[in-house]
Amino acid sequence: MIIPPYLKPGNAIGLVCPAGHMDADRARDCIATLERWGYTVRVGKTLGRSFHYFSGTDEERLDDLQDMLDDPDLRAILCARGGYGTSRIVDRLDFSAFSRAPKWVIGFSDITVLHTHLLTVWNTASLHAPMAGAFQGEGATSASVNSLRAALRGEKATYRCVPHRLNREGQAEATLVGGNLTLLAHLIGSASAPNTEDVLLFIEDIGEYLYNLDRMLIQLLRSGKLDRLSGLIVGGFTDLKDTVVPFGQTAEELILDKVRSYGYPLCFGFPSSHQGENYALKVGVRYRLQVGAEGATLGEL
Amino acid sequence: MKRKEFFQSLVPLAAAVPALRAGRVFAAPRRPSVQVQDDPLPVTLPPYLVAGDTVGIACGSGPIDLKEIQPSIAVLESWGYKALVGHTIGQKDGMFGGTDAERTADIQAMLDNPDVKALLFARGGYGMVRIIDNLDFSRFALSPKWLIGFSDVTVIHAHVHQHYRIATIHSKMCNSFPDVYEKAEPIIKDCIDSIGKTLKGAPMTYVAPHSPLNREGAAEGQLIGGNLRTLENLAGTASDFSTEGKILFMEDVEEYYYNLDRMLWNFRRTGKLQKLRGLVVGGFNRMMDDPKEPFGKTHYDIITFHTKDFTYPVCFDFPVGHQKDNYALRCGQVHRLEVTPDGVRLTSVP
Repeated sequence: MIIPPYLKPGNAIGLVCPAGHMDADRARDCIATLERWGYTVRVGKTLGRSFHYFSGTDEERLDDLQDMLDDPDLRAILCARGGYGTSRIVDRLDFSAFSRAPKWVIGFSDITVLHTHLLTVWNTASLHAPMAGAFQGEGATSASVNSLRAALRGEKATYRCVPHRLNREGQAEATLVGGNLTLLAHLIGSASAPNTEDVLLFIEDIGEYLYNLDRMLIQLLRSGKLDRLSGLIVGGFTDLKDTVVPFGQTAEELILDKVRSYGYPLCFGFPSSHQGENYALKVGVRYRLQVGAEGATLGEL
Repeated sequence: MKRKEFFQSLVPLAAAVPALRAGRVFAAPRRPSVQVQDDPLPVTLPPYLVAGDTVGIACGSGPIDLKEIQPSIAVLESWGYKALVGHTIGQKDGMFGGTDAERTADIQAMLDNPDVKALLFARGGYGMVRIIDNLDFSRFALSPKWLIGFSDVTVIHAHVHQHYRIATIHSKMCNSFPDVYEKAEPIIKDCIDSIGKTLKGAPMTYVAPHSPLNREGAAEGQLIGGNLRTLENLAGTASDFSTEGKILFMEDVEEYYYNLDRMLWNFRRTGKLQKLRGLVVGGFNRMMDDPKEPFGKTHYDIITFHTKDFTYPVCFDFPVGHQKDNYALRCGQVHRLEVTPDGVRLTSVP
């Protein structure tokens, strides 16, 4: 596994929008915070730009991210926001310069495409972590944003979460893989699909219908993505929707149903989410998951 | 009817939802055994129906009442068939027409019953993908019968096509039959009649008006397709399917435009758009958009974008989908697609 070099004061971070549009104003606190942390920031041309739904045409978003991947002065690329659009450009990105001088790619949600692509195709770790919006106002000093700072400095974090009645106790050490469930399902069958054998898989999602959540998990199950895990970490499933004839199970119950027959540890309520806490996780790095009666811990090895 | 609305309309809001049984059993995952074929293997057509034959009715997805399937039984009987009502009709388990085990057992009994010559799924919704791996198609494969439906039943079409090379019928289901056939609009009657024609083995011809975004051309190939979201959900699973050398048709309802685009990226990135003989686009109805962040493209634009690098014929506004004009299609059978400045014609090839 290739772990990009951690950052030192004075290093530069690129800020880019590979998917949805983001107003430059909304990234101001993020830029100020990164500078306060001692980094310089190179703002990509897609920040503040918009083309319909996207932060620029496919070509503009591709060029901007490609520049950042190729720029030898950058040690990290922070995706300012998700939305939708990374799938449209990922196959046209050239990772050859990046592979010679890897750097941290940071983000979540739609950026899951980059996390799994980097891991599957380039065997390179990346950071599933808050994006620019999370830095606004008091967010800049939140525990989640601070966890990104610590991760960039190379600190090994251990995260704790409270007990959950549906947790399955146990422990495992394995490579961490995961992200947004919709994107993970969407990538199945493509070159960017994650390998989920002997890994700690984490999943989170927002705004989905419960039946669609069920359908996506069935796809993961049927495509063999859930049977060889070392552990499953369930983050936030927020703003879920239901049909008026209710699905009849909660998100947690329907997730548990899919993995009931396996023995690996299972942890619900992990602070990785579109809403609330969203701690930095190094995709492609080995962690130890311990799930016990007092709750769960996930610690980088 | 709207798919999500249909979920909502079946039962009064205040109706109690029966507690779901804990511990649904899911089959162990099987890896797909997809063989990519330059020229697809031939598909077997099940025996066509004759007067006196029996048509089974069952739920693989959402729930339906016995009363709601009466109009379809009346029509089947008017065609000279007997209806065998499965035990899932009238069952309800949350949003499903019975538990996974009940739906599996009902469909299994219909598949294995030698007297049943066709199985009409009562309605779509969601749920087929939860049980498909538990169905045993071995007797069905030895004596094929017509499996009929659309929307969530697309799972069956893809699975049966890929594994057993047996033709199926993509059509309206019991919940779309008019209350009184004789009083129905001509277009509804015509679509219901088309189910009877596909079952009897009539040669089929479908027409669609010219659309300025069509790409002209002619092609022959096996028909494969159905509901796009349902097809996308099969990627990587034991029901995943090859589209190579085939005519793909697709339709959807109430999806976000950005998600339509994303689904087509899945199709491209899994190799499902590159080697088609033709693409038939049905209805993309009641599509949704976030008013704060409009996608800015229609389904015509999005599909045109995704097919611009290829040369096969493409037609829009084909009468298939979650809409009145949803004609029965024999999936798997070779059809001829002709897209011309005068319009579109799709014809079954004997």
